[in-house]
Amino acid sequence: MEITWIRAALTLLVGFGLMMSLAAGMSLVERKLSAFIQERHGPNRVGPFGLLQPMADLIKFVFKEEYVPNSVNPLIYKLAPAIAAVPAMMTFAAIPFGFLDGQPLVIANINIGVLYVLAVGSLGIYGIILGGWSSNNKYSLLGGLRASAQMVSYEISLVLSLVAVIAVSGSLNMSEVVAAQDHHWNVFLQPVACLIFLVTMFAETNRHPFDFAECEPELVGGFHTEYAGMRFALFFLGEYIAMVVMSGLMAALFFGGCDVPFLDIADTPWWLGALAMLGKTAFFLLLFVWVRWTLPRFRYDQLMWLGWRVLLPLSLANLAITGLVLALLGPEGGHA
Amino acid sequence: MRKSYSLSLAQRLYLPAVAKGLAVTLRYIFRPRFTRQYPEEPIPKTVATRGQPRLRLNEEKAPACVSCGMCEYACPAFAITIDGGETDRMIEREPKRFEIDMLRCILCGFCEEACPKEAIFMSQELEMAGYTREEHVLGLDRLLRPNEEFEQRRQFLEGNHQRWQQDDNAEAARSGNKDHHYSPTGSSR
Repeated sequence: MEITWIRAALTLLVGFGLMMSLAAGMSLVERKLSAFIQERHGPNRVGPFGLLQPMADLIKFVFKEEYVPNSVNPLIYKLAPAIAAVPAMMTFAAIPFGFLDGQPLVIANINIGVLYVLAVGSLGIYGIILGGWSSNNKYSLLGGLRASAQMVSYEISLVLSLVAVIAVSGSLNMSEVVAAQDHHWNVFLQPVACLIFLVTMFAETNRHPFDFAECEPELVGGFHTEYAGMRFALFFLGEYIAMVVMSGLMAALFFGGCDVPFLDIADTPWWLGALAMLGKTAFFLLLFVWVRWTLPRFRYDQLMWLGWRVLLPLSLANLAITGLVLALLGPEGGHA
Repeated sequence: MRKSYSLSLAQRLYLPAVAKGLAVTLRYIFRPRFTRQYPEEPIPKTVATRGQPRLRLNEEKAPACVSCGMCEYACPAFAITIDGGETDRMIEREPKRFEIDMLRCILCGFCEEACPKEAIFMSQELEMAGYTREEHVLGLDRLLRPNEEFEQRRQFLEGNHQRWQQDDNAEAARSGNKDHHYSPTGSSR
């Protein structure tokens, strides 16, 4: 069955709205949850329970002066926030939210969806590096450098953990990976890969305990020290959307996506499936915040040690064992 | 030199410790909030609260103050200004002008202790905000409060004075000083 233009347009609109509202909501959830963990109230003045706080923040950001410091490289300085935010937004297109009439409910049903997300998602780091570099400030530059080094060392483990998942599911298409997880989620087939992905996802999104690009106490904000107003908001937005995408990836690739436990994906109503996917994504989004306010930041050498000496061999071994088992099981192995 | 520590496998994995930490923060999410929502949720006040000084109206709704000037003299911040005048009432003197400059007042409570007529008390009013200096200079119209408002405070102070007097008498008996007198401010000026 051909997907109609109306459905494609609707999916795009709803998907984009969902992504933006999730990202905006996260800025509130982050502050609320951090407050609750510290026995505070958090923002509660704007609207009921502070629900309109993201609106107030946005209005503040929009009306702030677009200040460009004298010492920066103006072109790259202005370009960097967009480079950070846009790839993060693009990756959301490939996150599947279930099945409607047998067709995947996704903005772009790409046959190499996993690769697309990883490839485009990695572009976001250019925004951070360029932002730190163009600021012409030693702390910003350090933040950008750290971000790049961290990305390089963690992306390998991230991709290798996903390769094992792809090998088990037998497809690069995200919707097919989800469909293959009917009744047996990848987290049970690939627990080690799931753990590696969980750790690297924090590093990939520059979140605590791996937020060395920002690192308030030593780098005074790192790459975004010189930024204010809407440009800073774009960096912020990029980080939160990257979190949404990573949580969506986690839910779709390891926790069955739209699969509700004890129900066939084919029998699940589309709204229930989408809700299940949303719920799983929300859990990992909360986990991001929860971990941020629990763990202390790693030391930079510890980060490198963990990435190269622990996660990389572990993910390689996991991939080798997965391949070996799949080979022994024959072409009918994996989910089949 | 690096010391070598022997850690168990669980400790080296770090993940059990992470889970433990997450459990701690999860528990804290459901704890009662520590922050007080101030303007809606006022600061708890007790009878011992030393707020802004206020003047007492006696049972006949007239100022209890006889404008003796003791509080004016006791005030370390020179916040009190009194202009006394004659009156037909029994007490013969009453303040024509009684001003407390709340921008000078340090809420020490010396005026309250100095007053021989129990006419000035520290109230439980703590909030002062305004746009001009003038509105913080409180005159008689804004200082006078009905008698009942200070009843608890009066009893509290009486209890205090009795206790201090006892302590003082005991001290005097120990040192054998017959001329020792209790002084409210603790100094003999």
